[in-house]
Amino acid sequence: MNEREIIINLIKNNISEMQETIDSLYISCNSCTKNMLLNRLRRSVANLSMLVQGFESGQHSAAFNGTENPQQNPAGAFTLAELSKYNGRDGNPAYVAVNGTVYDVTDNAAWGAATHFGLTAGRDLTGEFASCHAGQPVLNRLKVVGKMADERLEL
Amino acid sequence: MSDLNYDCRNIKIKSETASVLVQKAIAAIGKNEIKKGNLIWLELTGCSGNIISLLNGADPDFRNLATQMVNFVYDNSLMAAEGELAMDKLFGAIGSDFILAAEGAVSTKSDGLFNIIGRWRGRPVTALDAVKKLGEKAAHVIAVGTCASSGGISAARPNPSGCAPVQSLLNRKVIKLPGCPCHPDWFLGTLAYTLLFGEPALDGAGRPLMFYSTLIHDICPRRPFFNQGVFASQLGEETCMFKLGCRGPVTRVDCPIRKWNNHVNWPIGANTPCIGCAMFGFPDKMEPFISYDIAR
Repeated sequence: MNEREIIINLIKNNISEMQETIDSLYISCNSCTKNMLLNRLRRSVANLSMLVQGFESGQHSAAFNGTENPQQNPAGAFTLAELSKYNGRDGNPAYVAVNGTVYDVTDNAAWGAATHFGLTAGRDLTGEFASCHAGQPVLNRLKVVGKMADERLEL
Repeated sequence: MSDLNYDCRNIKIKSETASVLVQKAIAAIGKNEIKKGNLIWLELTGCSGNIISLLNGADPDFRNLATQMVNFVYDNSLMAAEGELAMDKLFGAIGSDFILAAEGAVSTKSDGLFNIIGRWRGRPVTALDAVKKLGEKAAHVIAVGTCASSGGISAARPNPSGCAPVQSLLNRKVIKLPGCPCHPDWFLGTLAYTLLFGEPALDGAGRPLMFYSTLIHDICPRRPFFNQGVFASQLGEETCMFKLGCRGPVTRVDCPIRKWNNHVNWPIGANTPCIGCAMFGFPDKMEPFISYDIAR
């Protein structure tokens, strides 16, 4: 079985799991169970989007390792100083960088007033992200707006 | 903006959880199916806000608790006894079967001397001593409110008294009911469930799932505004307060359903953003509570 077939199989499995979850949601009347099922659905959607991204970009290995592989826009390369302008204030968008990629969190619900658990937008939050969301499929729900300039990566 | 849809059976059931559980516990005690529990309410380093909130409970209310559900052995704010007599009652409970409810964080600096809760046998008793002694012997420990659950305001920067959550001092499971203050329903429902069936189902952080399973944002009556991108730019606009810094999207609890003060209203219903008082990290990590310079 080649990589392409493996990915297609994973996508099919994921879809059937989602259908099963939706069926369970219809019959469940308990809030806790519903929330658990909704969480499972959200996880499946995140997995699915990761698989689709992996499939589109042809970078299958990353998808198999379960690492997130957002599509990068080569046009935008941010220095830390440039990034700091996107702090969400005065109508500016709110951007954060994680692992060299810059994400837009302007309209992300968890970033009310461009802040999130004491963190502010316009910064490289690689360390903070790793200490709190490692292994969670959080990043691939965010819009990618660019990457950090090479000078930053060498630091 | 219309209120939550109370025709929804799921929401209706959730709003009645505490009341149903308390009635069941009282009925079971009446039939001698279960024993009335002994309850010790220990105030540590806090503001008494949780006991005041508990007194404000309605259906179930404090009278249900004190007269029909438990023998209320000790609470420094409410009991008639004082001084050594009160402390005799507190430490006399060791050896009996009791549930410990602790409000406030535990001051740990200088061996806990920042918070002395009384004198017993001529010696000062620190909150740190009391929570360790009683916490180890209790059948269940319930951390009531944000300070007891995660340090909260007592442990906020710069935390001069070295305040820490109850869990960090005890080598056992602590049921956590964060909220500033804790809603009477959350405490009474959890206590009734514990008397009836033992420890309730908890999430990974030790919070009962029956009250803490849903994000405020997911059941917020103003959610449609968020979905449509209609945001308030100042207080008083009855739309989504996300741009003002609302913490509903990161706070897990059921305020929109349960509401406060006899189930009348809640912060967002009163046009102020959620400040995440029931979330770990409050208050430091939930600041700023309001921002006016975001949306333009």
